[in-house]
Amino acid sequence: MEIQTFIENFAAQFEETEISVFTPETRFKDLDEWSSLIALSVIMMVDEEFEIGIGAKEIISSDTIYDLYNVILSKTDN
Amino acid sequence: MLSGKNILITGASSGIGAEISKELSKRNANLIITGRNEKRLHEVFLNLHDPEKSSLNICDLTVEDEQVTLVKNLPQLDGIVFCAGVNEYIPVKFITKKKIDKIFNVNYFSVLLLIQKLLKNKLINKGASLVFISSIASQLGVPATTLYAASKSSLNSTVRVLAVELASMKIRANAICPGIVKTPMLDNSNIESSSFIAQEKEYPLGFGDPIDIANAVSFHLSEESRWLTGNIMILDGGFTLQ
Repeated sequence: MEIQTFIENFAAQFEETEISVFTPETRFKDLDEWSSLIALSVIMMVDEEFEIGIGAKEIISSDTIYDLYNVILSKTDN
Repeated sequence: MLSGKNILITGASSGIGAEISKELSKRNANLIITGRNEKRLHEVFLNLHDPEKSSLNICDLTVEDEQVTLVKNLPQLDGIVFCAGVNEYIPVKFITKKKIDKIFNVNYFSVLLLIQKLLKNKLINKGASLVFISSIASQLGVPATTLYAASKSSLNSTVRVLAVELASMKIRANAICPGIVKTPMLDNSNIESSSFIAQEKEYPLGFGDPIDIANAVSFHLSEESRWLTGNIMILDGGFTLQ
């Protein structure tokens, strides 16, 4: 999985935030639109698109989109 | 209060179901406890007040054959407590047929099919009490709960219909809608625990304990509630008042 693919899927969970805002360095929890419902949507998206189960723990421990991407990659390796 | 009554409890292997089993055992009921998790169900069984008066039956109620076997082995019943349930937070745009099936099979369809079999086989005694563990989710619009809430609303509707269908046999049907209760279902959910801690402040009496639900169930099963049927009890420490 390319980081760009992941960012596009991540951004798709937002309705208002411009896609240009999303980069690997984006601290996603600082975005105005970030909410628990979007957090849940990200968890569901990862399950649906990448068939990897993550939970709130992985969201909490990640600051940037790149952090979360790495968490998912590490689970892919396993 | 429940001495001599034969009571079937589904979903007895954890959380609210386990606590209800323990409490009803203390009140001298003869229990038949069922659940999917063999190890945990055994633990619950061994911790009953009087295991000798009770029996356990490992059963996945969503599997038709297992349900048929369970029903074949049941005695005449004076009460049934339907506790088996699962929850998963799923925003509507992520719903799939598989997820609908998973939640509805456990929370609703298996319950309906079990009642059908019990009635058809005349295993429910006159004057018996059916208690369904529903949820305040069925009364609210909490994001990401549509499958869970809809499955519990379905239970509530069935309770009202059953209450009237079975009234001539003095069989009563009622639901209890608990607010948040501290159980493993809470720990296993895919929502972060800090959001639950923040939510406890919204409960005037705090979150519930499984014993609070067990006490209400005991009342519903006893003669003290003999005029109560088709009722949907909100049991939430005042949460929905605000």
